[in-house]
Amino acid sequence: MSEEIGSVLPILLVAAPILAATLPLIFGLRLERTGWSVALVTCAGTFLASLSLATTVFGDATHVLVIHELGGFARPVGIELVADEFSTLIVLLVTGVSLAVLAYTRVGGPRGNTFYSGYLLLVGGLLGLSLTGDVFNMFVFLEIVGLGTYALVASGDGPESAVAALKYLIVGTVGASLYLLGVGFLFMATGTLNMLDLQTQVEAAGYDNTLVVAGFAFIFVGFAIKVAQWPLHGWQPDAYQHAPDGVTPLVAALVSTVSAYALGRVLFTVFTVDFVTATPYASEIIVAVGATSVVAGSVLAVIQYDVKRMLAYSSVSQFGLIVAAYGIATETAFVGAVIHLLGHGLLKAGLFLAVGVVALGYGARTVGEYAGLAHERPYVAGGMAVLLIALVGIPPSVGFIGKWYIALGAVQAEAWVVSAVIFLSTMLTLAYVARLLERMYFTPAHPLSDPHDTAHDHAPAAATDGGTDAANGGTTGRVTVAMLAVVVCIAVLAVLLGFAGGLFFELLEPFTAEVFN
Amino acid sequence: MMGTELEALTMLYPPLLVFAAALLVVVLPRIVGYTLGALSLFGVLAIALFVPDGSHLAGTFLGFEVAPFYVDDFSRLVGIGLGFLGAFAVIYAYSSEAPRVTAAFALAYVSSAIGAVFAGDWLTLVFMWEIMALTSTLVVWHYGGDAVRAGYRYAIAHGIGGSLVLFAVAAQYAATDTFSMVGPDGEMLGIAAGVPALLAVLGIGVNVAFVGFHTWLPDTYPRPHFAASVFLAAFTTKTSALILFRAFPEGNLYLAYMGGLMAVYGVCFALLQHDMRALLSYHIQAQLGYMVAGIGIGTTIGIAGAMGHLFNNVLYKSLLFMAVGVIIYRTGENDLYKLGGLWREMPITAVAFLIGALSITAVPGFSGFISKGMVLDAASGYFGGPEYQALYWLLFIGAVGTFLSFIKLGYYAFLHGPAQYTVRDAKTGQTVAMFSVGGACLLLGLPALGWPVFTDLLPLVDGTGFIGTEGPETLNPYSPSHLWDAAVLLTVSVIGFKLIRKPLSKIDLPDPAFVLNPATFYLGRGSMLAVTGTYAAVDRAAVGAVRRCYWAGSHPTLAVDEVARRLPDSLVEVDERHPTNGGRPSTIHLRASIGLIILLVTLVLTVVLWLLL
Repeated sequence: MSEEIGSVLPILLVAAPILAATLPLIFGLRLERTGWSVALVTCAGTFLASLSLATTVFGDATHVLVIHELGGFARPVGIELVADEFSTLIVLLVTGVSLAVLAYTRVGGPRGNTFYSGYLLLVGGLLGLSLTGDVFNMFVFLEIVGLGTYALVASGDGPESAVAALKYLIVGTVGASLYLLGVGFLFMATGTLNMLDLQTQVEAAGYDNTLVVAGFAFIFVGFAIKVAQWPLHGWQPDAYQHAPDGVTPLVAALVSTVSAYALGRVLFTVFTVDFVTATPYASEIIVAVGATSVVAGSVLAVIQYDVKRMLAYSSVSQFGLIVAAYGIATETAFVGAVIHLLGHGLLKAGLFLAVGVVALGYGARTVGEYAGLAHERPYVAGGMAVLLIALVGIPPSVGFIGKWYIALGAVQAEAWVVSAVIFLSTMLTLAYVARLLERMYFTPAHPLSDPHDTAHDHAPAAATDGGTDAANGGTTGRVTVAMLAVVVCIAVLAVLLGFAGGLFFELLEPFTAEVFN
Repeated sequence: MMGTELEALTMLYPPLLVFAAALLVVVLPRIVGYTLGALSLFGVLAIALFVPDGSHLAGTFLGFEVAPFYVDDFSRLVGIGLGFLGAFAVIYAYSSEAPRVTAAFALAYVSSAIGAVFAGDWLTLVFMWEIMALTSTLVVWHYGGDAVRAGYRYAIAHGIGGSLVLFAVAAQYAATDTFSMVGPDGEMLGIAAGVPALLAVLGIGVNVAFVGFHTWLPDTYPRPHFAASVFLAAFTTKTSALILFRAFPEGNLYLAYMGGLMAVYGVCFALLQHDMRALLSYHIQAQLGYMVAGIGIGTTIGIAGAMGHLFNNVLYKSLLFMAVGVIIYRTGENDLYKLGGLWREMPITAVAFLIGALSITAVPGFSGFISKGMVLDAASGYFGGPEYQALYWLLFIGAVGTFLSFIKLGYYAFLHGPAQYTVRDAKTGQTVAMFSVGGACLLLGLPALGWPVFTDLLPLVDGTGFIGTEGPETLNPYSPSHLWDAAVLLTVSVIGFKLIRKPLSKIDLPDPAFVLNPATFYLGRGSMLAVTGTYAAVDRAAVGAVRRCYWAGSHPTLAVDEVARRLPDSLVEVDERHPTNGGRPSTIHLRASIGLIILLVTLVLTVVLWLLL
C-alpha cells in the first residue's frame, strides 16, 4: 500500500461513519427500512479499512505512526489523526464489534432509520476518539460519543430509558467538562494542544508545574466518570440496564473501553510515565481508584438480580483493573491493560448479545429466571458460559492473559495491593459468574420462577418493534441463526485469543518500547 | 572374542533374570518353576563372577543419569554370595514344600535385593530398596496367621526406614547434584555430610538393625514359612550392610561403636531366646554388629573383614536357618526347651548345624574364623588405634556370647536328654542345599588351602596381601596368636555355659526394645486421630465458609439485610421485611440520583486536587 493511501485511512475511518450517519435520514424520506443496510455497508467498510490500517501499522516491526494532517496544516497548529499500535488495536475492536452487533439489531431491534443514524454517529465518534492526536479534538469526539450514546440509550421504550439517558447526559457532560477544564489548564501551561507536542512541552513546563498537575487532576477525574470508576459510576448501571438490548452490547463493549483507551493515551503519550512516577501521589491515586473500583464493582455485581445490571457492575470492576494497571505504569502491566481492554470489550459484547438473545428468545432477565436455560437453549447458554468463564479469567481465555499480565506487572512492581485485589476480584467474579452458571446449568426451570409471572420493573426491548407484546417473550421465532452465530463466534474468539498473549506483547512492543524506555 | 562375550554378559541385567523366574514360578509346573528359579540364581552367580570390573549399564531413569548395573569388587562379592546362596535356598524351598506363591514372592524379593547390590547410583538403589521392603513384607504376609501382624509391624518399620532413605537420597541430590554412588575412577563418593548423612544412617540403620531399630527382625523372621526365613535371613540385612558401606566408605567412630553394641546386645538377647529362629534372628543383629564395626573402623582390613563377614554370614546364617528349618519341618516345634536328643534321629541335620555353628562361632578351619578374625584385628591394638580398644572388647564379648548361644542351641536341640520325637532326617533336596552351603563354609576356611581363595575374593585384598595404614601387610589367620585367642574363647565359653545353663533356662527377659511396638502403635494412633481431627475441623470450617458465601451469593439481599440487622440501630435502621411475592427477597435499591453523583464527582475531584497540589 502506498504511503498516500495509507495516510488517508484515518480520516476515512472517522469521516465515513459520520457522513453515512446522515444517509438513513435522507433515505428515510423515501424508504422505510434502509438504516440497517446503510449501517451494514458502512461498518463493513470501516472494518475492512481498519484491517488495511492494521496491516500498515503492524506490517513493520518498528514504531509506525500513520498520521493524517487535517486540511494539510502541520503540527502543532493543525489537527492530526494518528494511528499507532495502541490505537489501531482499539480501532479493530470498535469496527469489529459494531459490525457484529448489527447481526443482532436487524431482527432484535431497535429499528428505524434514526436509530441507525445514531449508531453510525457513535461509531464515528468512537473511531475519532481512538485516532485523534489532539487533546481538544479528543474533547469534541468525547462529546460526539456522548451524544450518540445518549440518543441510543434513550431509544429504549420505557420511561426508565429516558431517565437513564438523562442521567448519563448530565453526568457524562460533567465528565467531559472536567476533561475540557483540564485541557484548558494544559493549554495555559504549554500553549499547545497537539499530543506529541504537548509531551515535550509538558516536560519543558516541569512536572511540578501547578497548571500541569491541576490539568492532570481534572482530566483524570473526567475520565474516571467516563470509564465509570467507583464512586463515579452511578450513570453506568442504569444506562446499561435500561438501554435497548441491541444497544447495550455496543455501549458496554465500546464506549467505556474507548474512554479508557483515551485515558491511557493521555496518560502515556501526553503526560508520560515519567510524570506519573515523578508526581507525588499520582500513581497512588490512579491505583487506588482502580483498586477500589475492582472490589466495589465486584461486590455490587454479586448482589444484583438483573443480569444486565450485574454485568454492568462487572464492567466497573474490570475497568478498575485496567485503571490500576495504568497506575502501576510498567510495561508488562500496560500490555496487560491493553489486552484486558480488548478482551473485556469482546467478552462484554458477547455477553450482552447473549443476554439480548436470552431476553428475546427465553424471556429471562434476572438471575432467577435463567434457571434451566442450558436445557432449553443450549447454544446461547453454552456461548454465555464460555464467555463468563473467560470473564473470570480461567485459561485459556483472553480474560486470563489480560489479568495475567496485569498481575505479573503488579508483582514485578511489588504492588502487592494490586496483586491482592486481582486475586480478590477473581474470587468475586467467580462468585457472580458461578451464581449465574449454577442457575443456567443446575437449576431446572419450574413454574414458580416462570419469567412471565413475576412482576418486573423493566420494559422488554422487544416491544420497540411494536409488532409484539411483552407477554410472548418466550417464543423463539425471532432469535436468528446470525445472532447465535455471533455469540458463539465471540466465545470461540475469546478462547482462541487466550493463546495470543505473546502475540499481543509483540504487536505492542514498538509502542511500549517508545513509552517505557 | 572372550571380551565381547563378557560385554554381552553385562547386558544381562541379573535382577530381571530373577524376576522373570519369579513370574514363571507361579505359572509353570512346580519342578520346572523351581528349577528355573535356581538356574536364574546360578546365572546371577555366573554373571557376578565373570563380568569384568567397572562395567555398568548406564541409562536415564525419570530424566536422571543412572547406572543400574554397576560391578566392582564389592558388588561382585555380595553378588556371588547372594547368587550362590539363593540358588540353594530355592532348592531347599522346593524340597521343603514351600508354596509356589511364597517362592515367587521370595524370588521377587531376591531380585530386588540383587538390584540394590548392583545399583551404581542412589536413585536405582532407593527404587530397589522400596521394592525390597514391599516384596519381603509379602513373603512374610503370605504365610498368614501370626505372620500377618508381625508383617504389618515389619512393613511399618521398613516404610519408615525406606522413607528416610528416600529423603536422604533426595537431600543427597540437592547437596551434590548427582545420584552417582561411585566416581569415574571407581572411587566411593559416599553420602554428603550433614542432613543427607543423618537421614541415610537412620534409614539404613533400620535395615541393618541398629540397636533400638531392630525390633522388626526378631519379631518377623521367626514367623513365616521356615523356607522363607532362609531367604529373609540372607538378603535384606546383608544388602543393607553393603549399602551402609556405600554411604559411609570413610567409616565413622560412632558407627563402629554402634556395631560393637549390636554385637553384644544381639548375643545377649539371643542367649535368652528359646524359639530357635528368634535366637538366630538376634544373631543376625549380632553378626551385623561385626560388619557395622568393620565399616565404621573404615581401614582396609576393617572393610575387607566386614565384607568377608558379610559374605560368610550369607552362607552360614542361612545354613543355620536351613538346619533349624528341617527340625521345624520334621517336628513342628519351634521351642528349644521342648526338643532334645535329636542327633540320633537326624544326624545329617546335626552335622549341617554343626558346620554352621562352628562357622558362626569362628572356630579355626571354618570361614567365619577368617573374617571375624579380620574384624577383630582391625579393632585390636595392632591395626586399630587406642580409640578402638573398647570396641575390641565389645566384639570379644560378642564372640563369647555367640559361642554360648550356639552351645545352647546345639545342646538343647541335639544333645539334651533322650529324643522327644521319632522323626526322619532331612530330605534329599534339603540335604543337598545344606551341605553345598556348608561345604562352602568349610572350604573357604580350610587352613593353608581354602582361606587364600576366600581372601582373594575380598575387595581391597590381593591374594593374602593388602595395603594397611603402614604399608603392605599380609593376612595370617592361622598365626599362633589367632589360634590361641580361639582356644581361649572356646574354653571360656564351654565353662561359662556349664555355669549359666540352669539360671539361663529360668530367665525370661523380654527385649526392652519391644516397647517400641506399643509406642509406635499409640503414636501412630494418636497422630492419626490428630490428623483426622484437624482435617475434619478444617473441612467443617471450609465447608461452612463456602456454604455461607454461597448463601450470601445466592441471597445477596438477605445477606445485606442480615448484616444490617446485626449492626447497632444507631448506624443502620432496618425495616422488618414483609415478603409479598412468595418469599422472594426484594431487590436492594442502590440507584444514586444525579445530584448525588455530581456531589461525589466534586468530592473526588477535591480530594485528588488536594493530594496532588
